[in-house]
Parts: sequence; structure tokens; C-alpha cells
Amino acid sequence: MKKLIALLMAMALVLGLAACGGNGGPAVDGKADFKVGAIYINSKNDTAGYTFAHHNGITTAMKELGLDTDKQLVIVDEVPEDDEQVLSAIDTLVGEGCDIIFGISFGYINAMEKAAGEYPDVIFSHGTGYKSNETNFNNYFGRAYQARYLAGIAAGMKTLETGNNNVGYVAAYGTEYAETASGINGFALGVQAVNPDAKITVKKLGTWADEVNESAFAVELIESYGCGVISQHCDSAQPQIAAENAGVFGCGYNSDMTPDAPKAHLTAAIWNWNVYYRTAMQAAMDCGEASKFVETMGSGAYYGGLKEGFVDVSPLSENCAEGTQAVIDTVKAMMVNGEWDVFSGVKLQIGADGSVNKVDAPLVDNAGNEIVAAGGASVEDSVITGTMNYYVAGVQEG
Amino acid sequence: MKIHIVKRDTCPFWKKCCYYAGAVLLALLLGAALLASMGVDPIAYYTRMFTMGTVGNKIAYKVWINYLKELVPLALTSVALSLAFKMKFWNIGGEGQFILGAIGAAFVAVKAGPILPGWLTLTLMCVAAMVVAGLYGLFVAALKVRFGTNETLMTLMLNYVALYVLIFLGEDKGAWNFFLDPDSLRPVFASFSDIISFPSIPMGDKFSLNICVVLTVLIGVLVYVYLKHTKHGYEIAVVGDSAGSAKYAGMKVNTIVLRTVFLSAALIGLAAAFKVGTAGILSTAITDDVGWTGIIVAWLSQLNTAVIFVVSALICVLHYGSTVAAATFSQVDSSFANMLQGVILFLVLAADFYTRFRVVIVKKGGKDNG
Repeated sequence: MKKLIALLMAMALVLGLAACGGNGGPAVDGKADFKVGAIYINSKNDTAGYTFAHHNGITTAMKELGLDTDKQLVIVDEVPEDDEQVLSAIDTLVGEGCDIIFGISFGYINAMEKAAGEYPDVIFSHGTGYKSNETNFNNYFGRAYQARYLAGIAAGMKTLETGNNNVGYVAAYGTEYAETASGINGFALGVQAVNPDAKITVKKLGTWADEVNESAFAVELIESYGCGVISQHCDSAQPQIAAENAGVFGCGYNSDMTPDAPKAHLTAAIWNWNVYYRTAMQAAMDCGEASKFVETMGSGAYYGGLKEGFVDVSPLSENCAEGTQAVIDTVKAMMVNGEWDVFSGVKLQIGADGSVNKVDAPLVDNAGNEIVAAGGASVEDSVITGTMNYYVAGVQEG
Repeated sequence: MKIHIVKRDTCPFWKKCCYYAGAVLLALLLGAALLASMGVDPIAYYTRMFTMGTVGNKIAYKVWINYLKELVPLALTSVALSLAFKMKFWNIGGEGQFILGAIGAAFVAVKAGPILPGWLTLTLMCVAAMVVAGLYGLFVAALKVRFGTNETLMTLMLNYVALYVLIFLGEDKGAWNFFLDPDSLRPVFASFSDIISFPSIPMGDKFSLNICVVLTVLIGVLVYVYLKHTKHGYEIAVVGDSAGSAKYAGMKVNTIVLRTVFLSAALIGLAAAFKVGTAGILSTAITDDVGWTGIIVAWLSQLNTAVIFVVSALICVLHYGSTVAAATFSQVDSSFANMLQGVILFLVLAADFYTRFRVVIVKKGGKDNG
């Protein structure tokens, strides 16, 4: 009863106080006062999938930096891509005194841009987007295509071992989004570096997550298109499980899917989101005031890859063909030290003996148009993140 | 032993209040047990929930602004639904009517906004939303009147038709689709908040009251008067009680049904216009489930217009407060907050049942008093 009265009194107090809200936003100061805010598209208690990957990244980064995830992290979850609801979530986080606010879903883009103007004392960082300003608003994404290329090598070596040149790819979308197209192309080029005769067949889901069709499309690729390796760009491990059930192989995405399909899974292209989150939180604590954040980060767009450890491939499983690890290590080193990149006029030729050679060859789309001339430089990052709307030669939609 | 459920003749007001309060308390206790099992202090959680996180909040005025933004569409939709429910026309199509109203309002905002003066655009947005949503409702009413179709099923199914129209508009990148942002690489709805939005009345230092709040209260009063003190209101009540009697008394039942359903759907469209005109953008989550929640509100309020405002205000506290409370407790996600809301509503509905009926246990061999 005492507590109830206390509760009622607290309520009464608040109703009185609320009318006279104070001024000023939170300032970035000491580590103990530092507060992280996050807006998720799904539940923070998810145990797999996109939101889980980000939540894991944020909490891991906070632990690495010695921050308390119970007291210094505020999350509004299950926020749909609706400007009003995102802005309301931001108001909640700013009201809690968050110094930096991460939004993980693409559709938060305009609300975050608006809020960055309204709250200049708070840092806004938007995942998968492309908008930014020069002070307190940046975006972040990663070179997943580099990891995809490495996974493609593992898949290509498996096609040589099994003698089946058909590779399947269950994708959320195809050429509609640069994110999916660049992933498909990166993977395909990796496969072709090992096995130039390989054909990649893409089945599109038309949505980012649909467990039923993720499984059904993988089965169709295996049964109707004779695919012996199944890659994927979708949320769940269903395509890998389908590959396991059919006795073929596969490359997962987002997290190591070997536990889901121990007899089928080769390796997965994975994200280490904590790499970015740690960098961003450190910058937010170091920059002194929110308006210096973008300057401290060096640019309004963070686009890390293998070099930063932001993307990678999961540990190769025993299902991989012999010698895969050595080849992947060699190619990874070439991308890490900046010697070579995927979408350029230079292709890698990977021999059966594991040798890796660079040869000048044009980058051609599957309609025969030359994208990059032989020997030409890599396409711009903005193409990979924004305007890549074609498949490379050897890729077809099924 | 038999159990009989007997309708109560009367239930005193204080008794009703006790039932409702008991239900809420029981739900909170249940929630407290669940919270405690997750290692969360229930008192701390509930304090945050019922204060909607305004304690120690540097921008508490924002809480009230956001709260009212949630309240306006819910209250107006509930009022609108109660009109149809009073006539025992089960309009489950609030979601669909809201969506079509929103599309109508957005159409006017995009097309007329840049040309016409602001007040005219806003008026036209409201009118367009009301007409589009109203006709959507009228369509179902006409089918019922003409062919005796089941309005519950029809309105329910049409919700999904409307939703998919909206999703289509949000995803189709065709050149004709002026609803989308032309500068975005991925399809997203274009914002027109720079062109047009409902004005707010500044109050105090930071807080400002959106004109839609005032208009909603005004409409609430008008609907109250319409139902209680006009011929139309009387006709609605009679048709609701017995369509046969209404016919016998010489009322044109079909006309009354068509007119009232149009009005009900049109007011839902108006709620959508308020929402879109405040947000300045469409969204596939534009309804925020008011079409569904509104049914519960209308029912809990026993279709009393004044009570609807009280109940929707309380439900919004619950909804907004749950989200805020879940944010600061790492164990609690929005799904738990939604579940707690569900438990409270379910128990209050159960209590509502008890205010109307009582359970009588009849001993074996006893006289049948049913």
C-alpha cells in the first residue's frame, strides 16, 4: 500500500513537472554519463536475424569499451518504418539523455535526418542509409560483397569437387536494390574465379524475410535447376537447412550457419557490427561535442570492409573442398592490403592447385554491356551502395 | 449443479468502477509477477509506464505532443465506430477506411498543396479523406441493404484490400507514382510536411497544441449532440434496437443505415486526414492499429461518446507508457509491453461482462429460475 501511494504521488508530481520541461539537450561528457540509444525494427530479444545481429554488435561494442549495457543503453524496438513513430522513438531516446542514437533500418532515413537538425547536441547514426550532414549525422554500411566473394570461392571450389556447375541463390531482392545486386555479383565473381563455367541462378523473395519461401525457393533451385550449392541473402537459415535435407551444399549469410546445417554449410558471409559500433561510440566519446562527430569519424559515410574486420567469412566447415582455406586467406590478404578489389577490370584466376593470378579482363553485365574495361579501376563505392542495378555475366534469374 | 448466466437489470456506477479497477489491478499484479520473474522491479517499471517517462525527462513537452498525436486518431476513430455500432452495424473496417482516407488526403496534399493556400488545402484534404473513406463504407452498407451481405466479413476483408493498395503505392517505382520520393534510390513515401501541415497553437514555452486536438473534441461534442438530441440520433437507436420496429414506425431503415455508415466511415477518414496532415507523409503503418483498438475503445465505453474520450486517453497512456518503459529495461521488449496491454484489456472486458451479467449457480434438482 505504501508503495502504491508512493506511485500515485510520483504520478501527481510528474503531471505537475511535465508542463515545465527544461531546456538544452544532453552533452557528450564523461564515459560514465555516456548513453547509447538504439531504434530496432524487430525485438531486442530476438535470437537470430537482422535485429539480433545489430543488438549483438552494440552490446559487444559496449562491453569492449567498458560501458554498462543495463544502465547506459536505451532501446526502442519494433519500430516500423514510419516517420512519426521513428520520431516519437527518437524523442523518447533524447529525453532519456542519449548521446548517440543508432537507427538500424533503411526506412528510418528521413526521420533521422530531420531529428539530426532538431537535436544538434545528439549524434545520429543511420545503418544502411546514404544521408548525412557535416556535424552530427552519419550513415554506416559495409563491403559485404568482399565477404561474398570469399564465400563464392568456397562455393566455386565445391562445384569443381562435385562436378556440378549449377549454383543457386535465394535473394530477398535482385537488381531492384544495389545491396542485393552487389552481394549476388560479388558472390558470382568469386565462384567464377574458381570455376568459369559455373552458372548462378537467382530466385527472388520480394521481401527481406519469409521463412516459408526461403525454404521453398531453395528446394526449387535444387530440384528444378539442379543446383549443388545454395547461397542466400535473406534472414533465416532455411535455405541452408533445405540444402542439408537435399544432400547438397550452401553458403549462409549474417551469422555462421554451420550449426543449422552441419553437413551442408561451407561458410557464411558475416557482419561484425561491433567493429563499427565500437568505432562510432569511441568517436562519440572522444569528439567532445556532437557537432564534431562526423569530423572525428573522418566522413559522413562509414563503409568498412574486410580491412576493418567489419565483414568476414565465418570459419570454414569441414564440408569445404580441400585447399579452400589457403586460397581464401590469399585473396582476403589482397583485399585487406588494398592490392585488389572485386568490381574492377582485373579478375582473379584461381587454379586447381590453389594458385591465384591477376588477369586484366572487363567487368561485363549479363546483357553483354561492358561496365569496366579490361585493366580499369574499381567502380565507385556509390555504385556499389546505390546504383548497381545489373547482374554480372553468368547470373540469371530463375 | 448448473451454471446460469443471468442478465443484470442494473449495476450501480460505483460497482462498475470497482469491477473495472479490480480488473486493472489484477492485470497489473499478473504483469508484476511476470516482470519479477524476468528480474525487473515491477514498481519501477509501472512508475515509468504510468508517468510515460516524463520524470527526469529534459524534453517532457515532447511526450505530451507525441501522446496527443496518438490520441487524436484513436479517439476520433472510436467515436466514428460507435455511430455504426449503435445501429448494430458491425463496422470492422476502420483500418481500411482509415487507409483510404489517408491516401485521399495525401493525394490532395501532393497535388493541391503547392498551388492552393494552406487552409484550403487542409480543408480539401479533410473533405477528400471523408468522401473516399465514406464511399468505401457506403459500398458495404449498400451491399447489406440490397443483398443482405454480412457487413462484418465485408468490412474485415476490405481492410486487406486497402492495406495492399497502400503497400503497392509504397513500393511501385513507376513514373506515375507521385506518392514516392523521387530522390530516393529505394522506394520510400515522399514527405510533404514542408508544403502542408496542420497548424499548432503555441502554449507556454515549448508546448504547442495541434489544431486537430481541438477539432477532435469539437467533433466529439457534435456527435454526442447528434446521437442524443436529434431525430437522426433517435432513428439510429431505434434501428439498433429493432430494425423491424423501426420499419413499422415508418422509418426508412435502408436510408438510415446508408447514411449512418457513410458518416461513420467518413469520420474515420477525417481521423486519417488529421493523422496524415500532421505527419506530412504516408506510411504502410499509418493506421497504428486504430481501426482495431477503436473497436475495443468503443465497446469498453459502451458507445458513450464522452466515455470514449476518457477510455482512449487511458489506452494511449497504456500504449505510449509501455513503449517508453520497455525502452529502459533491457529484459523487456515491446512484445512484452503489448502482452501486458492485452492482459489489461482482456480482464477489463471480462469485468465489463460482469457488469452486464451475473453468474448464478443452480443446485441440482433446484427450481429452474432461468
